[in-house]
Amino acid sequence: MTRGSNLRRLLVAMLGVVSFAAVACGGDQEPETQQREPGQKITLTFWSWVPGVDKAVDLWNSENPEVQVKLEKIPAGNQGGYAKMHSALKSGEAPDLAQVEYQVIPEFLLEDGLVDLAPLGVGDHEGDFVEWQWQQGAFGDGVYAVPQASGPMAMFYRADLFEKWGIAPPTTWAEYEQAARRIRQADPNAYISTFPPGNSAWFTSLAAQAGARWFDISGDTWQVDMDTPETIEVAEYWDRMRQDGLVKTDPDLQNGWYADLQAGRIVTWVGAQWGDAILMGNAPETAGKWRVAPIPQWSEGEQRSANWGGSSTALLKGASYPEEALKFALWLNTDPESIDLLIAGGYGWPAAKGAFSGSALDKPYEFFSGQKINEVFAEADQNIDKSWKWIPTTTAMYENLNQGFRAAVAGQGSFADSVRAAQTKTVADLKAKGLRVSEG
Amino acid sequence: MRASLRSRILVTALLGVLALYFLLPVYWLLVASTKSTGDLFGSSGLWFADFRLAENLVNVFTYDDGIYLRWVANSVLYAFVGATVSTLLSAAAGYALAKFAFRGRETVFNLVLGGVLVPATALALPLYLMLSNVGLANSYWAVLLPSLVNPFGVYLLRIYTEAAVPDDLLEAGRIDGAGEARIFFSVVLRVLTPGLVTVFLFQFVGIWNNYFLPLVMLSDPALYPITLGLTSWQSFADRQPELYQLTIGGAFVSVVPLMIVTAVLQRFWRAGLTEGSVKG
Amino acid sequence: MPATARRRKALVPWAFLAPFCVLFLLLFIAPIGYAVYQSMIRVERTGPMGLGGAREVFGGLENYSRALSDPAFVDSLGRVLLFAAVQVPLMIVLATVLALLLDSASARWPAMFRAMFFLPYGVPGVIATIIWGFLYVPGVSPILDALSWLGLEVDLLGPSTVLWSIANIVTWAFAGYNMLVIIAQLKAIPGELYEAAIVDGAGPLRLVWHVKLPLVRPAIVLTTVFTIIGTLQLFAEPLVLKPLSTAISFTYSPNLSAFNEAFNTNNQALAAAEAVLLALGAFVLSFGFLRLVGRGRR
Repeated sequence: MTRGSNLRRLLVAMLGVVSFAAVACGGDQEPETQQREPGQKITLTFWSWVPGVDKAVDLWNSENPEVQVKLEKIPAGNQGGYAKMHSALKSGEAPDLAQVEYQVIPEFLLEDGLVDLAPLGVGDHEGDFVEWQWQQGAFGDGVYAVPQASGPMAMFYRADLFEKWGIAPPTTWAEYEQAARRIRQADPNAYISTFPPGNSAWFTSLAAQAGARWFDISGDTWQVDMDTPETIEVAEYWDRMRQDGLVKTDPDLQNGWYADLQAGRIVTWVGAQWGDAILMGNAPETAGKWRVAPIPQWSEGEQRSANWGGSSTALLKGASYPEEALKFALWLNTDPESIDLLIAGGYGWPAAKGAFSGSALDKPYEFFSGQKINEVFAEADQNIDKSWKWIPTTTAMYENLNQGFRAAVAGQGSFADSVRAAQTKTVADLKAKGLRVSEG
Repeated sequence: MRASLRSRILVTALLGVLALYFLLPVYWLLVASTKSTGDLFGSSGLWFADFRLAENLVNVFTYDDGIYLRWVANSVLYAFVGATVSTLLSAAAGYALAKFAFRGRETVFNLVLGGVLVPATALALPLYLMLSNVGLANSYWAVLLPSLVNPFGVYLLRIYTEAAVPDDLLEAGRIDGAGEARIFFSVVLRVLTPGLVTVFLFQFVGIWNNYFLPLVMLSDPALYPITLGLTSWQSFADRQPELYQLTIGGAFVSVVPLMIVTAVLQRFWRAGLTEGSVKG
Repeated sequence: MPATARRRKALVPWAFLAPFCVLFLLLFIAPIGYAVYQSMIRVERTGPMGLGGAREVFGGLENYSRALSDPAFVDSLGRVLLFAAVQVPLMIVLATVLALLLDSASARWPAMFRAMFFLPYGVPGVIATIIWGFLYVPGVSPILDALSWLGLEVDLLGPSTVLWSIANIVTWAFAGYNMLVIIAQLKAIPGELYEAAIVDGAGPLRLVWHVKLPLVRPAIVLTTVFTIIGTLQLFAEPLVLKPLSTAISFTYSPNLSAFNEAFNTNNQALAAAEAVLLALGAFVLSFGFLRLVGRGRR
């Protein structure tokens, strides 16, 4: 027996196994769609993380005994929810319906993960929704999502502390910076805000508010313009605030941040409408001390807001009863009772037209010292740049920005460098997906 | 040998300090599991506030129709079935490698040794894609199958068999006319018992603690083990703050039986050892 | 013996090996082959959203060059190497010291201490990280409260500290386990060896250095190899700490990066290339260590 013969046998065996693997991995099959017989009882599965959606689903189930919806709660999209959906799509185990935020719809399209709703007649309902939100799911001749809610932005602030310190709530970003300085003097433990270096979705919205438009399509080619003067100005503004020690650089939306909000160590949050539920849930001790004002402006007298977040209900590829699933998605997002239940959970700003006045949104909030805060958000909703587009690599784009911000906070480079590096990296990401790109 | 009093005090004090380090997080967990969400963020972590352990535990077990108990059952299933089968397979393979001379023996053994050195997480991604193409991803099999292969167990049991199973015993069985299978199941396995227990425990804890494999393989919460279930609760917690408390309560409940198990495991461990004359 | 009987006898060991080997080939060797195959795929698409269709073509080594030219991925490799360079010696020294202390005649209640040190091994890494995570966050952690009461402001989640905060979790979880492996070997040392050494007039320290340590060498080698492989696979700890720390990104460790590329950004081919690079690195390092140790012994 020689070593050589052993080795040869081993190689032959390995080749056999590898070719088995290749065969095993070749067979993608299209899942079947079915038609429901009248009177047939079916169950649709629905993945979502939106608080309050369970109550809406219960309502639907009590009214539709034949078409039951089984809600499965998943982690929020960027915290593992989308990873789960992509992986379920690959294994052919995807649910019929899922929560898909506007910024990732193109990502799901690129993986061929969404059902085109146009052949199912979704076009008849276009008029029920706010136009720009409808457009988030419309590509070419297809419509791939039923819009649910958006996140118009404003400024949450601790009215009691601002009053105690004699500081007026800022209306421009210049005033915001001055207020930040005075807060540091008034209370050495307090900061006006944090700049979360790991949450570039928030930064993206602030850049949009300043007038940046990062992505566009001409023909078949993507146009990427992240490092525009508007974006650089926003980046440099927060970089200066950071270097002057006027803001924290801790992450937002996690327990240290909640502890800071509870204790009055962070006194404003430039956030979206869905943030009200987060404040009420995580800083219950501060009830009655908050108010909401419009987002600060770059030029005095302007009224520009931005959108942060925003979500749709989509049918994932493989949905077994697409007609019934679509019917549920439309009901969930237009039925007034359903909308009221979603609002109570804090899902955001309704995408259905005219859902504000008279709804559960149109009321004073005790938590916000009796203010009708949604009047501010209704105004903000009118002042959003509605032509913003998302690329099919948004998740990676966010991470590209985060990397630069983190590096800057750790002492390497500036926020503006981060934007420039993200521009280059994002172009490369799109190209690596096999798409055509031109740099602005 | 008698040690001086000074060195006894010194060594024992040092061990005491180290014990504090190892116990501190467990103590914190115990205290935290008795608190409300508000107290969790608003009171000292080292002492009890409003005592609500019972209420918290009820929440852990009833939330989402008692999904937590299902996760416990899944963890037990994965770890117990996986460790049992993999120990048997390893024993058979280790026995073959230790007690038979055949062509290709060293090749197989070297391949197995190489397998010990490959990080399991590097295998999980391609394995996921392969299993999803044969329709096995997101099923009990997706976590169980990879847990059945334990190259390190083969390595340990080969060495253990060489040392513990005398050739005469096998020959005696053969002369009595027993078949090879019977010799293995009724003679070899009995002699190997202490080694089998060790390999079983290694693999059991390995599967119990595994996170990456189920994270990659599973999307249905009904199939989750505890590790995945608790992190999923934690990831919802920013929108549903009460889940912080559930995560902590769930962690507490899962750690307590493990403390008991490790105590039992210690006894087994010692049973399998040659008792030295050093006082222990 | 007739030829058929001999052939049957030759098949016996293979019958015992077969169940393990079949699974080993399918679940160990095949995935490695498949990862290598995957890592050489490139996707081409038409239309801005790829709605015009996609096809897979052979891309050669371009995914490898893409991974290795990404500074973030290269940084992550450097980070786990640094982590391993500190963590492995720290872990092994601590585990050996714990084992020797418990084995020494000076220790009281060794069984109780041993159980306490070993206890964290039964706590899954993610759960350990969730618990320590609470102990690291300012405003929540009693440890930080105590330190700040003493006038010390420490950021345990900052860019220069978080790696060592992770090292603490790993040490906490695994030191007791490695200790137990070494103790197992210590207990197997025949008592006569000690008695002989003591008769020769060896004190406790000489006993440790000249008798115990050389004898537990195999256990130390074993725990070292597993610690090397384990530290290079760093994944769960940074993933769970990620929301708490601004210093942790999806490219913090090579494993996290591969996971992110596979599941969040859907670049399977790139993920496969990164997984292959990591496996290769772990293999080379642990194999290299074994060779080094083997040579030293000769």
